[in-house]
Amino acid sequence: MMRTICRLVVSCTLFLLPARVQGTVLVPASMAELARDAGAIVRGRVVAAEARFTPDRGAIETLVTVDAERTLKGSLGTTVQFLVPGGTLGRYRSIFVGAPELVVGQRVVVFLGWHGPSYPYLLGFSQGVFRVQADGQRGWLVTPPPIPVPATGTSTVVRGDPDRRPMPLADFEQRVRDLVTGTR
Amino acid sequence: MTEHRKPTHTAQAAGQPGNVRPFRALLFFWLISSFVLSHAAPALAYLEFGVQVGDRRVALKWGRVPVRYFINDQGVAGVGPNDLQAAANRAFSTWQAVPTSSIAYQFVGFTSALPREEDGQSTLGFASRPDLDRVLASTNILLDQTTGEIIEADIFFNSAFPWSVAPSGEPDKYDLESIALHEVGHLSGLGHSALGETEMRADGGRLVIAAEAAMFPIAFPPGNVSGRTLRADDIAGISDLYPEAGFSDAGSISGRVTRDGRGVFGAHVVAFDPADGSLVGQFSLDTEGRFSILGLRPGPHIVRLEPLDDADVVSFFAADQPVDLDFRVTFFDRLVVVPRGGDSGSIELKVVGK
Repeated sequence: MMRTICRLVVSCTLFLLPARVQGTVLVPASMAELARDAGAIVRGRVVAAEARFTPDRGAIETLVTVDAERTLKGSLGTTVQFLVPGGTLGRYRSIFVGAPELVVGQRVVVFLGWHGPSYPYLLGFSQGVFRVQADGQRGWLVTPPPIPVPATGTSTVVRGDPDRRPMPLADFEQRVRDLVTGTR
Repeated sequence: MTEHRKPTHTAQAAGQPGNVRPFRALLFFWLISSFVLSHAAPALAYLEFGVQVGDRRVALKWGRVPVRYFINDQGVAGVGPNDLQAAANRAFSTWQAVPTSSIAYQFVGFTSALPREEDGQSTLGFASRPDLDRVLASTNILLDQTTGEIIEADIFFNSAFPWSVAPSGEPDKYDLESIALHEVGHLSGLGHSALGETEMRADGGRLVIAAEAAMFPIAFPPGNVSGRTLRADDIAGISDLYPEAGFSDAGSISGRVTRDGRGVFGAHVVAFDPADGSLVGQFSLDTEGRFSILGLRPGPHIVRLEPLDDADVVSFFAADQPVDLDFRVTFFDRLVVVPRGGDSGSIELKVVGK
């Protein structure tokens, strides 16, 4: 029995040690950073997602078209298009791991960037798209909501935090506007 | 886009007579729960990619091993092609060394082909991708949808970032071997693990502070080299995809996640082994809320579940999948005993909304 308890305590101690990270791929971006760096921020509905070859025909990419319902930053017009790597062409499917797969009919808020005379892209990759879903009682919600920023110091992001619930779309958009105008 | 295999064995459910002495189980559970609850520990889960072939869904994996790969012959500042090849080779070797997995890889040679080109050969290399502004590296898998066969899998490392191959790492540079280890997991057929804990800073920055899987998708700080090793979750994932004989000794926990009697999709279900502190997990992957965590060491486990409400859900699941994020962290109220080579028997985890 004592051996079991000793083992348990050691295991728990190890479990709680902050093994400094090893995951990769994305450099994390906060909503403040996304709002600052975005050339355009648009809320709308996905009306098309068409795979195609890249201009050099070396790879497959998907051109996503969104009917803009509201523009929160920039001026890309009422029909906004951007590129996401990967897609399906005929019998071939190109999976760009971690790339968001947007589907027709889905409502999203997208943070877009661009370089030169090409189509915009999702800023921060999958971090640059927020899902908007209908809730019968609460209306349109952004889920998951952005992580709140502490006033000072740091705060650990806790999964399942009861205080972090899907955010009403109006509140989300107000927060984005505040970030864009620099009022918070 | 996820695939998930069901266990093939069943066994006596945890908590039933003969499994665990009641007072020991109670003490055991209280101790662990006290630690876990007080620290909001991160959860994890390895995911396999799945692909629809006709009317069936199959796990995305290589049909033949060794997996052959090329290295692009262009380097970046401080990292030449030979450095890249050496770092990649170490990463491939780490995966190949998992004793319960049969995966194997073979370096073919250097090439001028770019990693983003879909040309039938798997290539690793640096590339400039201004459109992937916060992506350190990524894997692109090309498959034939009619057969589910992988045709090639390329890995690109973003040349816009500073890279290091120094044995102990270098300040302000990302460790190439650590990143390669993660990407080789993708190349092999693994998706992202959600294990990882982050913190927000007052300046709006987000920093990863802990992780228990190489397949966690968010970057570690530059200079860190601890990502060169695999964790229990990674080992379970690769062994599940490419099982070697020894993997049959591992057991599993399966069951359902429900809310008001209905299945919950996309919940993280995590098995914590108090004997060695390891964590292995899975997601509930259908609308019935069914899950199965494979690759577990036999013995008692603590089961915890949580919503993926701090992550980019689209990085884990297809956009149209009904992932439920609005529930509280929950523990199963008993220890679950994993039998050698078998399954715990179905358990039901009930969650409540926030």
